[in-house]
Parts: sequence; C-alpha cells; structure tokens
Amino acid sequence: MFTKSRTLLFLTFMVITILVLASCGPAPVSTPTGEAAPSEPPGNTVPTVETNKNITMVIAEDPPSFNPIVSDTGYDALVMELVMLGMTDIDPSGNIFPELAAELPTIENGGVVLDEKAGTMSVTWKMRNDIQWQDGVPVTADDVMFTWNAISDPTNGSWIHGSDYIDSVEKVDQYSFTVNYSSIYPGYLTQFGGEQLAIWPAHYCKADQGFVAWDCGRQPLSDGPFTLKEWVEGDHMTFEKNSNFYQAGKPEIEGVVIRIVPDAAVRKTMMMNGDADIDMWINVNTINDLKDSTTAKVSLSPTDRWVMRLFMNEAAKGTIDSTATPHPILSDVRVRQAIRMAVDVDTINKQVFYGLAHPVWTELFRPPYVCDVPRPTFDPEAAKALLEQAGWKDTDGDGVRECHGCGTAKDGYKMEMQFNTYAEYGEPLELTQQLIAEMLGNVGIKMNISVVEGSVLWDLAENGGIEQSGNFDIDLWDDGYAGIDPTEYLSEAYSKEAMTPGKGWNFFRWNNPAVDALIGETYTLDEQTRKDTFCAIADFINEEVPEIHLFTVPNADAYSARLEGVQSSVNDLVTWNIADWKIK
Amino acid sequence: MATYILRRLIQTIGLLFLLSIILFALVNLAPGGPLSAFGGKRIRPEKIGILKRQFGLDQPLPAQYIYWLAGNDWTQIDTDGNGIKDASGVRKGILRGDFGFSYRTRQPVLQEIGKRLPNTITLMGITMLVALAIAIPLGIFSAIKQYSVFDFLATTFSFAGQAVPEFWLGLLLILIFYAWLKNPWTGEPLLPPGGMFSLEGGFSVTDRISHLVLPVLTGALGWVAWYSRFLRSSLLEILPQNYLRSARARGLPERRVIYRHALSNAMIPIVTLLALDLPYIFTGAVLIETIFAWPGMGRLYYQAAVERDYPLLMAVLIIGAAFIILSNLLADILYAYLDPRVRYE
Repeated sequence: MFTKSRTLLFLTFMVITILVLASCGPAPVSTPTGEAAPSEPPGNTVPTVETNKNITMVIAEDPPSFNPIVSDTGYDALVMELVMLGMTDIDPSGNIFPELAAELPTIENGGVVLDEKAGTMSVTWKMRNDIQWQDGVPVTADDVMFTWNAISDPTNGSWIHGSDYIDSVEKVDQYSFTVNYSSIYPGYLTQFGGEQLAIWPAHYCKADQGFVAWDCGRQPLSDGPFTLKEWVEGDHMTFEKNSNFYQAGKPEIEGVVIRIVPDAAVRKTMMMNGDADIDMWINVNTINDLKDSTTAKVSLSPTDRWVMRLFMNEAAKGTIDSTATPHPILSDVRVRQAIRMAVDVDTINKQVFYGLAHPVWTELFRPPYVCDVPRPTFDPEAAKALLEQAGWKDTDGDGVRECHGCGTAKDGYKMEMQFNTYAEYGEPLELTQQLIAEMLGNVGIKMNISVVEGSVLWDLAENGGIEQSGNFDIDLWDDGYAGIDPTEYLSEAYSKEAMTPGKGWNFFRWNNPAVDALIGETYTLDEQTRKDTFCAIADFINEEVPEIHLFTVPNADAYSARLEGVQSSVNDLVTWNIADWKIK
Repeated sequence: MATYILRRLIQTIGLLFLLSIILFALVNLAPGGPLSAFGGKRIRPEKIGILKRQFGLDQPLPAQYIYWLAGNDWTQIDTDGNGIKDASGVRKGILRGDFGFSYRTRQPVLQEIGKRLPNTITLMGITMLVALAIAIPLGIFSAIKQYSVFDFLATTFSFAGQAVPEFWLGLLLILIFYAWLKNPWTGEPLLPPGGMFSLEGGFSVTDRISHLVLPVLTGALGWVAWYSRFLRSSLLEILPQNYLRSARARGLPERRVIYRHALSNAMIPIVTLLALDLPYIFTGAVLIETIFAWPGMGRLYYQAAVERDYPLLMAVLIIGAAFIILSNLLADILYAYLDPRVRYE
C-alpha cells in the first residue's frame, strides 16, 4: 500500500521534472538589424508558402559560423555565400569575377605594378560604390582595412592564403586600397574573396572580440542576396531576401530555409518527396538513386576537385628522411611503377562507383592547367615482370614475394605492407581499399588493411598523426588543390622542405632537386611559363611515381526540378550564384 | 540516512575529481587532435601556431588540466606567439563554472549544451514515459497469463525489440510513414521525416506530436522490451510467495492481490532500474537524433568526439558522469525508501 503510492509519487515527480526541464526551450537568436527577438515560438517566423518562392536546403550539420576562414567545413562557406560578399569569386569554369571589386586589377589596366628588380608587386583594387550593408551603410575600403587588420592580428586573427607575402595594406580613398607584396604572388586575385573570405563590416563587428570569435560571425550583417533571420542550432536557419541587394531585381527567391538533417538517406528521401530543394555534396549512391527521379535533379560540376590516390612512403615507416632511411620496399621506383600497373581503376569505378568516377592520372588535370600526361596502362603481367626484375620473387610459394637481391632490403624480406585509409568517407572508400589490396595481392604484394579516423591520419606529428610522422607504408585518401591555382599546393606537396613535419605535406618524402627548382619558377605572373613549369613537374611525378593518382568522384549537388540556374562547382559551394536562381 | 547521503555526496565529489583527471588524460592522449578538424586534410602550418595559442594547446598537459579546472586568469600567458608572456588569461575554470569555449563554434560550452539539453530531455523523457506506459501493462499481463498466447506474443515482440537496430528501424519507419503513406485528405506525407516542428503554420500541439511519433516509437521499443521482460520475471518470482497465498486465503479479490500486494513489491527493482536509466535523459541517443534530425545532446557529443572538440567533450563527459553518479545515489536512496528491509547506516 505504502510502497505503491510512493512509486506513483516518484513517477509523478519524474514527469513533472521532465516537463519543467523541457519547457526551458532554446531562445532564438536575435537578428542583427536590431529588431527585437521574435516573441512567438520559432515555428512562426516563416510566412506560409503561398507564392512558393521559398526554398529549403537540407545539410548534414550546422555551420560553425559564417566565417569559413576559421574552420573551413564547407557549411560555413555555403551560408557565407548567402549573406556576404568578397572582392571576387570564382565560377565553376575557373573564371574569376568581381563582386565588391569594380574590376579585376591586372598589369594591363594598371592595377598591378611589378618591381622586377626587387621581386615585389603592389595591387590596387577599385571597389564598387553602389553596394551597401543591409542597414544602408556603404561597403568601403574601411571595411577591407578592418577585415585585414582583424585577420592579421596575432592573438585573435587567422591566416589567409598568401598573407605571408603581404607587407602592408593601405587605404587609397573611400573606394580603393593597395596591397603591397614582398614577392610576386600569382594568387592575388582571390586573396580577398573566393569561396572563403568575406569582407566584414567595420561599423558592426567588434574588433576586440577578434576575427575568429566575433559575434558578427554568427549573426552577420548582410551585403549579399539574403539576410539571416533566425538560427536555431542543430535544427534550422531561415534567411529572407535582402531588399538592399545591389543587383536590381535579384534574388528572385524570397526566402531560404536550411534544415539540418544529418542522415544522407533521409535527405535523399526528402529530395525525392519534393520537400527539399537543395542537398549539397551528394555521394555516388545518391547520384545513382536520383537518376530517374522526377522531383530531384543532379547538377555536376564541370570539373572535379578531390583526386583519390595512393601515397607511397619512400622513407622507412616512422621516419621522414628518404635519403638517410629509405623504405625497404617503396624506395625503388620500379616497385612503385609496378604497383601502378597492378591497380585497375576501371574495375574500381565499375564495382564501387557505378561508373560515375573519372579516372585521373595527373595532378594537373583541370583547367586552366591541363597537362598532357599519358594514361598508365593496367597490366598485372608487366607489373609481375617488373617486380621480378627489381629483385622481388616468391620462392617459398606462399603467394607473397620476398627480396632476393632487391637492393633496398635484406634478402628474404617479405613484400608485406600496412595499407591505411580513413573512416569518414564511408563504404565506397573501404571497398576501394579492399579491391586495391586484392589487386596487389594478385601480383604478390601483401597489404594489411586498416581504417583509421581522419583526425588520426592527418594530425600533427607530435600528436602521432600518421601522415606527418611518416608512420605508414601506403595510404589511400583524396587530396588536391582548392580554387584554380596549384602553385602553393605543388610547393607544399612536392618540395624538399615540405618533407619536414609541420612544414608541408610531402608525405611520400619524395626528394627531387630538379622539382624543387621548377617549383621556384612557378612564382611569376607569366602564364605561359607557369603552364610549362606545371607540366614539367607533372612529367616528373609521372616518371618517379611518388604517388598514384586513381580517380575523382563527381562533385555533385541535388536540386529540385522546380529550380533553374543551379550549377555545382568545385571552386565554390552550390550557393555561389543563388542570386540568379529562378523558380519555375 | 542523512549522514549516509552526506557521506555519499562527499564521495561523489572525490570521485568526480578523480574522473576528471582520468577523462582529461584519456581525451587528450587518444590519437588524433582537434587541429586536424581545421582546414580539412591539410592543417596550414601557419594556422597551427595561432590555433594552439587560441585553444591553449601550447601549454604542457598538466598546465592545460589546471587551466581547465581552475582557470588561467591568475597567471600570465603568451597571446601573440612571440614567446613572451604578455597578458593574464581570461579563463575561469570549471570550478568557477567556466567550461571554456567550443573549438568548433567558439561559443561558451555551457551555452552550446544549454541549447541542446531541453530538446534531448523532451525527446528522451517522453520516450521513457511512453516506454513505461506500454511496458508495465505488458509485463503484468505476461506474468499473470504466463505461457498464454499473449505471453508468447509479448515475448516474441520483446526479443525483436531488443534485437532490431535503431538506425534500421528508424529509416524503415521514415520510409513507411513519410515516403509511402499519405494523409488521405491532404495528400501530404502521414508523418514528417524529422525535426522538432514544422516551420510553417506556427506552434501547434498536433504538429509537435506528429514530429515526436517516429523517434519516440524507435527509441521506446528497446526500453519496452527491457522493462516488460524485467517486470514479468520480477512478478513471476513474487506470485508464488506465501504472503500472496494468505492474502487470497483471507478472501481478497485477485485484482487486489496482484495490483496492490504483488505489483508493489515487483516494482521495486524496476524503479531502481529506472533511476539508473535517468542519465540517458541527459546524454540523449546519437542514432535516433541523427536519423530524425533531432538537435539533441547525443549529436552534439558525437560531433565533439569526432572533431576532438576537447572543451565540449569534457563538459559533456563530466556532466554526464555527475548525472550517472547522482542517479546511482538516487537509486540507492529510493531502494531504501521503497523497501523497508533495506537500511543504510
């Protein structure tokens, strides 16, 4: 009798506690325009879709902020494109176009002045004078100065590409400023724009909160096509048209809702059901599933970005100097060439990627720098012959070769290696890894496969990061350069300096003085020289095989059939041209 | 009893302190670090120094722990990377309620948790209540009608409920109730695929409930199975006991014998179990929150773990640990309260 009533009492207490705790719901963020936070529940903020001029995007996770420079997740760049402008941006074909800039500064129009003798340059930007923040304050050179000062602050700042070459940034007048470089810097056109950097409002952002953490990074003041209305973390963000947008009559879309839907299968179902208009970065499974859908279409970027590849360590596992401690197997170029001949990219593409992947065999495969490198042939018999010639033979009949006069290891050393990839990519990459291990097994190379977290693979050497500390034999992951300029990427991936942990990403520990010299020659504004030099480097990579380029997967975004003008791009997020989208 | 509770509370503080050291060490020594989440696969060397200073990772681990625990506003730190300690820190440490800021969003950790906690409590609380509302009658009828058709069906259902993985069931339910079944009057999907509420139409109770149906069903199934099986076996142990026979012999109606005399004793272990399950209401359920796009603690924790967002990770772990320890204490106290035979001295 007693016990029962007490049990009931306890249960009642629990119910009340839960209800009380549950009623303390999250407060909606206040809007930057200074309007009072909406007093009604968050569900009431978007008007009923009568004209149906609102679109819904579904994305996997919250953006950390509107400032992609800080954490670079892609989701931050997606929302930045909705509300913020940079000096320039890049279209899907790799053409740079002005946003805040009135024109692109070049040598011809006097915007770029070279000092050949000193090896320096200065770039003067002219800005449009008809662009305003959503509160009516004009966007001026003061905002650029403010943004640069915030980035270069040693305590709360960050880093943008090429910022080490900048000596100073000076305001010329209200709508122009000059950047002085200590070197010739070919990437200057996208330095204050592109997919990552926005110009921030000096009168609204608080400098003392710092570039990386300021409130305006999460409640931005817009000079783009939309303004942020509400952000309920983990659930949704709503945007409405910026009536102050400088392009008259744009955007046509009245409002944007971004819903956070972590599961890819649910996002796909929502697209097929017509409840979502954009699903960014869809994988090959989704591309394949949507091919017959009437409600959802797929936009493919004209070029791809990430090249799946095998990184082969020329230094012994756990070391970083390939000359002092060469890898017992992989330091012989013939072995690396044999591995390339033994991997059948077309089979991987067919079996894992529905034939949607694109085989790629050089770093310089996309415009404007396309090099003519012959495609390697898949020939396991030739691979076996080359391994025999290199002194790797299977004499004990266990299917795994051993060293018999190989020159890089002791006789009897087994041709057995560790083979890593990362977990976050998911099943297709793990299947690819298994297929490659099988293909190499067929020519007598035993691969022990393992799948690790990305945060372990790419961490700093001092934290045991596998790549940086050289603690691997062969790794499989996707890499490549962002934007349209491979200069810095090539220097950071193939120079001798980049072999040292923390100095770059020469994980193959490929040491070639000729390539080092060529890399130095790419820092010029002479396009023909740059192109020839890039291709000379590509030829070296092709001959010495520090890595094996395999394929790219399409960079794709799904969009609803009622939208027009959606164009996926590897140079930016799908929202790069949202102001031009139309609704049928 | 009061001394017992006091003693346990003091032990709890000691235990939490010890746990904080172990967790801090585990989280920091686990392979992989937070910087790899910045800049994708290639952490810019230029960014490394800046980020380390901003996150306080430039300090040796014991100093990091002390700063995390007690703050660094009492000491000088190097803020601009020139090797000279130039300003005092701004962190207060968890002892003064400052859990630091999330590496990902640069927002205070407690603020991040505060935004997610109510959502998780709503979902998990309702899930638990629904689970109990189904499990208790199920367990009782299974026990009094042992080996009946109903009992066999309930048993089968329970085993299935334990065995079915949540992510599979969740996706299946979305396919059925969102993609396939339509509301015959409006032609709209019968139930939404996820989220907490619709953005159109304003607040409505039916809308809230329609968003809860699928995640609650998915989450409750396992608990229903667990609690109903437990209650069934607990009742079966009690039913043949002598005090019930004497109750029947005194002429009490069977209904009264079962519900008042048998059930009240059979519920004691259930209430203990329930108290031990309470921490889930805080920690949430990663899979359910992920599939049904529910912005709760589980997803927050999972993302923090994957991205090695140490301050957020530590806060969730420590607060979660405190919940578990306190729930255990609650279970022990309740046990003594419900069962007069149990006494703590």
